[in-house]
Amino acid sequence: MGTGMLMARSKCQVILLVLTSIVFSVLQNHAAQAEVSAKFNSPAVTAALISVQNGVAPDANTISAGLDLDLGEGWKAYWRSPGEVGLPPEIDWSRSQNVANVKMLWPAPTRFTAFGIENFGYSDEVVFPLEVQLEQPGKPVSLFARVSLLICSNVCVPQNFELSLTLPSGIGIDNKSASRLSEFIARVPLEEKDAQLESAIAHVDDGFSELTISVKAAAPFQAPDVFPELGTGTALGKPDIRLGDRGTLLWARFTVLSYDEERSRPPIVTVTDGAGRAFTVTPDRVETQPAPPFRLNVLGPGIDQLAWIALVAFLGGMILNAMPCVLPVLSIKLSSALKQQGRDKQVVRGGFLAAAAGVMVFMWGLAAVLFLLQRFGVMVGWGLQFQNPVFLALMFTVLAVFSANLFGLFEIALPSGLQTRLSNTGRRHGYTSDFFTGLFGAVMATPCSAPFLGTAIAFALAGRGTDLLIVFTFLGLGLATPYLVVAASPRLVTFLPKPGRWMVGLKLVLGLLLVVTALWLFWVLTGVAGTRAAIAVAALSAALILVQSRGGLSPRLRWPGIAVLSILPLVASTMLAQPAANHVSATTQEWTAFDRAEIARLVSRGEVVFVDVTADWCLTCKANKALVLDREPVLQALRSDDVTQMQADWTRPNEAISRYLEGFNRFGIPFNAVYGPGAPNGIVLSEILSAATVLQALEDARLATPVAAAQN
Amino acid sequence: MASRRGVVFGIAAFAAGVMSIRYARSFLEPLPEFQDLTDPVGFREISGGPSSTGFDPFVGLADPNERTRLRTPSDVRQNLCKALFGETDENFGFVPLASFSDYYCPYCRVQTKRLAGLAEQLGAGVKVVWHELPLLGDTSMLAAKAALAAKRQGAYVQFHERLLSSPFQATPEYLQLLAESLDLDHARLVSDMESKDVLQELDTSSILSEIFGFIGTPALVVGRTVIQGQISDRNLLKIIDLERSEGWAQVC
Repeated sequence: MGTGMLMARSKCQVILLVLTSIVFSVLQNHAAQAEVSAKFNSPAVTAALISVQNGVAPDANTISAGLDLDLGEGWKAYWRSPGEVGLPPEIDWSRSQNVANVKMLWPAPTRFTAFGIENFGYSDEVVFPLEVQLEQPGKPVSLFARVSLLICSNVCVPQNFELSLTLPSGIGIDNKSASRLSEFIARVPLEEKDAQLESAIAHVDDGFSELTISVKAAAPFQAPDVFPELGTGTALGKPDIRLGDRGTLLWARFTVLSYDEERSRPPIVTVTDGAGRAFTVTPDRVETQPAPPFRLNVLGPGIDQLAWIALVAFLGGMILNAMPCVLPVLSIKLSSALKQQGRDKQVVRGGFLAAAAGVMVFMWGLAAVLFLLQRFGVMVGWGLQFQNPVFLALMFTVLAVFSANLFGLFEIALPSGLQTRLSNTGRRHGYTSDFFTGLFGAVMATPCSAPFLGTAIAFALAGRGTDLLIVFTFLGLGLATPYLVVAASPRLVTFLPKPGRWMVGLKLVLGLLLVVTALWLFWVLTGVAGTRAAIAVAALSAALILVQSRGGLSPRLRWPGIAVLSILPLVASTMLAQPAANHVSATTQEWTAFDRAEIARLVSRGEVVFVDVTADWCLTCKANKALVLDREPVLQALRSDDVTQMQADWTRPNEAISRYLEGFNRFGIPFNAVYGPGAPNGIVLSEILSAATVLQALEDARLATPVAAAQN
Repeated sequence: MASRRGVVFGIAAFAAGVMSIRYARSFLEPLPEFQDLTDPVGFREISGGPSSTGFDPFVGLADPNERTRLRTPSDVRQNLCKALFGETDENFGFVPLASFSDYYCPYCRVQTKRLAGLAEQLGAGVKVVWHELPLLGDTSMLAAKAALAAKRQGAYVQFHERLLSSPFQATPEYLQLLAESLDLDHARLVSDMESKDVLQELDTSSILSEIFGFIGTPALVVGRTVIQGQISDRNLLKIIDLERSEGWAQVC
């Protein structure tokens, strides 16, 4: 048997060898005498070399031996990758005789966290199996091990000792050693080919900040732990381990604490699952991060929070009725109802219920689409739309046109077919047109909802399917309230104020509101796409309003003109968008730019870091800044010497910031967090800040004196 | 109903009793007994500590290319107190604490933080002297040199705290980053790491560990008391008091 083949001896073969040896010994009826080296004794550890064979059988190429460590209570020895600190045992065999090579096998480690530091290794007892290859088969062997072993409890004691074991030629098996060795051979992780895996992939991001692995096995996992190795110098934090596919899919994400490029190697991963299962795989590197089998609901919306959000959505939906997008539709519906005053109550009620149904159907449809997008991993977030110049241009144009309409510059003429149908509602007995009136109103509401419903929708998009459903249901109910109220009591129609001068006043007020909103959007657009694009969009919108309000144009020119001028602002917003470099960063002397790595660095120096993720389009962020952050006593607290204020500007899309937010399971802003020696992982503040909570968080983060920390 | 209430009361009273006894015991925890060292004379250790229970004193994991030392044991023995506690002026009003630690030892980091906290708390009452005892291989040695170089710029504790958040790496980039983040002079840090001064300090610490027969890290010498392994804050404070009242300077 060649040496190469010997080298390839797998664990199974070793077990087989041990077992056959046991059988052999039983046949021989040999009274086994323990074949064990003289023991090394210290209060922390007792060490010995053990061997399965009592002698080297004729033609035997290998000996199965082991380094047996019996650790005292509280003492630990380390795995081949010990974690952040610690050292694996090393054995020098050079003074052995008749030994070609010794291969040391590593039983699966356990994870222990000592003094806040992650370590992998062994407690109580461990036997490192040794495959000893002989130079001359069948000849006596003399094993001489110089062992360098680090063991730690609350002291670390390096142990250097020598163990020797000589085996003469002969036959015989030490049953005690054999069973002890096989116990630990069984704990050596299986090789990939024996582990019955369907796939194993690993992803390391470009900045080497996260390692994600995903392993699909035939059999489900119970309580797995994962030990990746990326070479010395690379240290990983505690993993976030999740199971999916009835436990057969193992997903784990590690923060990379430190990375040493020179000494790094492609990841190999050891997975343990209880005492009985362990394997080591070399996962395939993939370019995209494997998605977790489920999202942890860190925010964990409670019933009260959900009720609050539902109320906000409901009120928001009601307010939407007064928005210029919806008002024309609603007023058409109501005025048609006025005409029907003499008609059968049941018909009126049915008509309004159908309209409400139309609203709800649209809202649920929207919820379903968003839910599917979420399922397919499309990044949907309300805020993200505001990073898109096309969306902003569309919003701006719509708002500008509607405000012009409210100021009476022109009348919105719905396509004549639709108008006829809407006004014909009462004459038919089918409720189809009522249904579509409601649906159309809801469609019209969507562009207007953005500035007013950000919170509720952002919540829905970040949440589970049920959150999504609840928010959109209440939004729809709010929007359908006028219809539902009339349906509940058709007589109310008679109390509707008669059209008159008051409507002109209302229109002016609403128009002003819209102008303000449009101006704000213009400002946001300046931040996102640059001044050039924003001015182009504004000019084109003005042209659009002009075309619409000028009655003199022939219809042949007018409609294509409107169509072209409706599209042009959207095109211009992207075509003329300026790169981010021209965008003056919002950082000032007090605020430094966001740098995730810098946070840990500052905290390790004992400083407190206040992180503010903001954007031009985030009104709540502006409110937080104006009402809390830029006011005493918070202002002074933030400006004290040991506090670093860090601002992340999310006005434009920014991968690093998105990932940072996602780390907290947040998909929208405002987001504020405080880091410090007392809170190295950050204290996340609520979206709406108050001076008291900010000051409390700063204090909590600062706390934890070294003495107090040591006592924990 | 009455009996059930009685049971609850009984349990509560029992729990309260156990808690108060525990608390009282921790409060009345006796000072550990001491045992005089035969060598060096005048020093003592806590009875039953790891070094008195059969550990062999070791001088580290085998290092084949060990350089020749810049100091000899007899040099060090000649002025043991100075080697251990640095320059001590004639006024012995404070209690010195010599801390020995190694980068690869988890508990060392905790002890460094605790002692730094203690020094802050007790102010002029104590003086902490930091020794590096890199017993655990090359990286350990490099980290020790970097720590001592940082110490020369007054950033020893900060350096060790930094290791808690990101492990030491034996690369020039790491040292550059380290110097930046701790506001240190990078060039000086690098040159100090291999300076004769630093090497001599390492040798002194290593010889001290042999003289005192340390079994590993961390180790602590408070006045004339040698402490190895974990000790409660309360007992440490008691020993500091004891050293102050007994006059630790008698060994010097």
